[in-house]
Amino acid sequence: MNTPRQITTLRAAAVISSTIIGVGILSFPRYMAVAGGSSAPFVAFCGIVISFISFWLLASLCRRFPREPLFVFSRRLLGRPLAFVFTLLIFLIFTLLSGLTVRQFGDVATTVLYKKTPIEATIFLMLLICQLSARRSIIKFSYIHFFYLPLIIGPTVLITLISMRNIDWLNLQPVLTMPSVSFWRGAREASYLFQSSFVIILLIPYMQKPKQAVRAGALAIAVAGLLYLLIVIASVGLFGSEETKLLIYPTLESARSAAVGEGFLERLDALFIVLWVISVYTTVYTTYYLAAVLLQNLCNFKDQRSTSTVLLPLVFISAMLPTNVFETYTWSLTLGNVSLMVLTGYAGLLWAMFLFRRIQKKGASG
Amino acid sequence: MQKQQSCPPSAPGSDSLSHSLTDNLESLLALLGQSGDLVVRDFLLFGKYQASMVFFSSLVSQEQIQEHILKPLMARPSGHPDFTDNLADMVHYIWNTAVQVTQGTTEQFISSLPPAIVKGELVLLIEGVNEALLLDMRQIDMRGVEQPQTEQVIRGPREGYVEKLENNLALLRYRLQSTDFRIEISPLGTRTQSRVALCYLDSVADPHLVAEAMRRISIIETDSIIDAGYIEQFIEDQPLSPFPQVQSTERPDKTVAALLEGRVAILVDGSPFALVVPALFNQFFQTVDDYTERFIMGSLIRLIRLVALSFSLFFPAIYVSVISFNPELMPTDFAVAISGGRAGVPFPAVIEVLIMEVSMEVLREATIRLPQMIGGALSIVGVLVIGQAAVAAGLASPITVVIVALTTIGSFATPAYNAAIALRMLRFPLIILAGMFGMYGGMIGTILIINHLLFLESFGVPYMSPFIPGKWRDWKDTLVRVPLWWMRRRPSFLHIQDSSRLPASIPGAYADQILQQGGEADEHSKADHNAAGGSRDQ
Repeated sequence: MNTPRQITTLRAAAVISSTIIGVGILSFPRYMAVAGGSSAPFVAFCGIVISFISFWLLASLCRRFPREPLFVFSRRLLGRPLAFVFTLLIFLIFTLLSGLTVRQFGDVATTVLYKKTPIEATIFLMLLICQLSARRSIIKFSYIHFFYLPLIIGPTVLITLISMRNIDWLNLQPVLTMPSVSFWRGAREASYLFQSSFVIILLIPYMQKPKQAVRAGALAIAVAGLLYLLIVIASVGLFGSEETKLLIYPTLESARSAAVGEGFLERLDALFIVLWVISVYTTVYTTYYLAAVLLQNLCNFKDQRSTSTVLLPLVFISAMLPTNVFETYTWSLTLGNVSLMVLTGYAGLLWAMFLFRRIQKKGASG
Repeated sequence: MQKQQSCPPSAPGSDSLSHSLTDNLESLLALLGQSGDLVVRDFLLFGKYQASMVFFSSLVSQEQIQEHILKPLMARPSGHPDFTDNLADMVHYIWNTAVQVTQGTTEQFISSLPPAIVKGELVLLIEGVNEALLLDMRQIDMRGVEQPQTEQVIRGPREGYVEKLENNLALLRYRLQSTDFRIEISPLGTRTQSRVALCYLDSVADPHLVAEAMRRISIIETDSIIDAGYIEQFIEDQPLSPFPQVQSTERPDKTVAALLEGRVAILVDGSPFALVVPALFNQFFQTVDDYTERFIMGSLIRLIRLVALSFSLFFPAIYVSVISFNPELMPTDFAVAISGGRAGVPFPAVIEVLIMEVSMEVLREATIRLPQMIGGALSIVGVLVIGQAAVAAGLASPITVVIVALTTIGSFATPAYNAAIALRMLRFPLIILAGMFGMYGGMIGTILIINHLLFLESFGVPYMSPFIPGKWRDWKDTLVRVPLWWMRRRPSFLHIQDSSRLPASIPGAYADQILQQGGEADEHSKADHNAAGGSRDQ
């Protein structure tokens, strides 16, 4: 009854979207404010454009191999050893990324809301549900993202819009400052959040219309990007750029300032945090799933069930490595830099090889 | 003569009936063994041939035998045909002219006789004939068709299934007068030989689904099928899941509605329940009332049921986590009131809630097992008296009692008993998680439950359909129930062959008229809408 190609374009977009919206949502406005002051929304916008370009590079390449995931056709393009090295590198990146993401989540969770829960337990529980669900097939993987996406976007937009009632538009002026080094660095940092859109390489072989991979990504990045923009506008507009730079979690603060009526719905931040757990889960789930599938390909296993179990201690250790919050952020920024280079560079390299081979083939045949 | 149930294959040769009546009787009785209700009636067929009838008096209608078999067979036939030379012709004569029975067959093997006799058939053996006549005289008294006990409705049919398969199939046929309606019957269970009927609509149901259901039933290996519940346990996809993946219903109308949607129903002789597959999550929260009432009420009641469902699952966990981990999330006045109420309670909130929940479960189980007259009294004693006393004694705070009561009432509001049990069961791990890790634990537990639901499948259909995978068209009958005239298509997730409920020739203009004109369309605009055609077809 089941056909392998089951993932619709919309569902692929949902996977990417819910992956992108994650742990960064809380501190994102601070980075943007630091980078661009009152033109923070514009910094974010540039970051979104950058990440779309790198996504386009990857997705349009994968689209040409609609039956295979990246790590399979890369062997043909680059040869086994080199492809193995790159796959290993990407595997390490996603393992570390899962660890650091879940660590950032643990830090926020234990300092802000779940104060009595030890950070190890918080992290371990989160990883455990990721491990349990990473054993399932890619189709079920897309179901999960598709189900949770409305639960993430709806309330977040609602809360942000409510908090925007108190916005002072003067705080957002001037909209544009001279693009400086820090401006572009901010834009680059913003693009890190979108790196998990790499997951498209897993989805393409199962998509009903693999040709629409780029369209799905564009839709996803647009939705997630708009959400991030909205959050930046709300935070900077509410507190002003200087104040936003000082707040550790500006989004949470703006959610806190949003109250509906007197009494019952005073604390919207609680609702926000509850839903934020879901958005972090979907993000870590994707990176964890990617890491498990990459490891499975490295070891040539049949499916990712066993590798997802092996991965659990690895990710847990990498999550516990940083000693404090600041180290976590430094590490994740470095990791972001490295992965931007590796992922984009790899895609570029594969593109070059692909074009080279095609020219060669043309030369040989004609 | 209609060839009916296929009997177990019998070996030819020694197994064949002989021409001697005494030999045949002896070997048949040896196979049947001693039994108090076994009747062997010898008589003179047409006044001159030796013959014997063998049957179980407990399974057949003796009056019918006297009237329609013994009477014509003992009387001399008019025209006095003589069969002495040609005994084989006599069997034809008996069949065609003498006995007045609708169903029966002839058999040549002794080993096929006992299964037929225990089924309620009568065996007629004649001296000099190496064939036996099997006549269906089965009559077993059954209770009448009554109002279903587990699925009551405010508005809607009042009839429920009974134990006898024929009656149940008759109830279905009566509602579904279509040649498309197919029933396939086969015996199951090596000892009970219960007849299992698989029902579906030939032109609607997905042939793969029918084949899959058939396959799952045919590979069942067991000695006894006593109720439809036995079959359910053999054919469900995921036996370890707390959620039911097969729907069981007592209502013929509900079964027919399911068949019309393209599902398959399974009935078992001796069980007043029909199984419907595939069964999806939202099906367990729909009732007949949703459809028989007007759509606004149907939708509202359905939403209320959803609220009740979330009460029964999440309320105690949220309460525990907020009280013991994040009291700052409550509005101040409310927090003060709650902590005031909890002042005298020595336990942490999680223990308190667990004590109350467990005693509530015990109370409920006791109420179900007791006769109705006592049950009512017990629930009043249990809930009111003990609840009040527990608060006075400092065992629980008043707010806990309120929470537990809401939870229990919420689980009663779930229409399907088995789905309600699933949520009842899952409530406890959630409370414990919330007690250990607070709101975060509750979230993790919820994610686990939702993921489990998303991973589940029932006969190849995702359990959370039509929410996941999203088919917007099918959402019209999920959380809300849109007007019947708007649901012109059958649910697509069942891969049905014929998707439209109405013939394509009827345009979708009726819905348009009502939505746009409030039903008072003048001729001119009617024409307009008809011209717009079925463009509103969803």
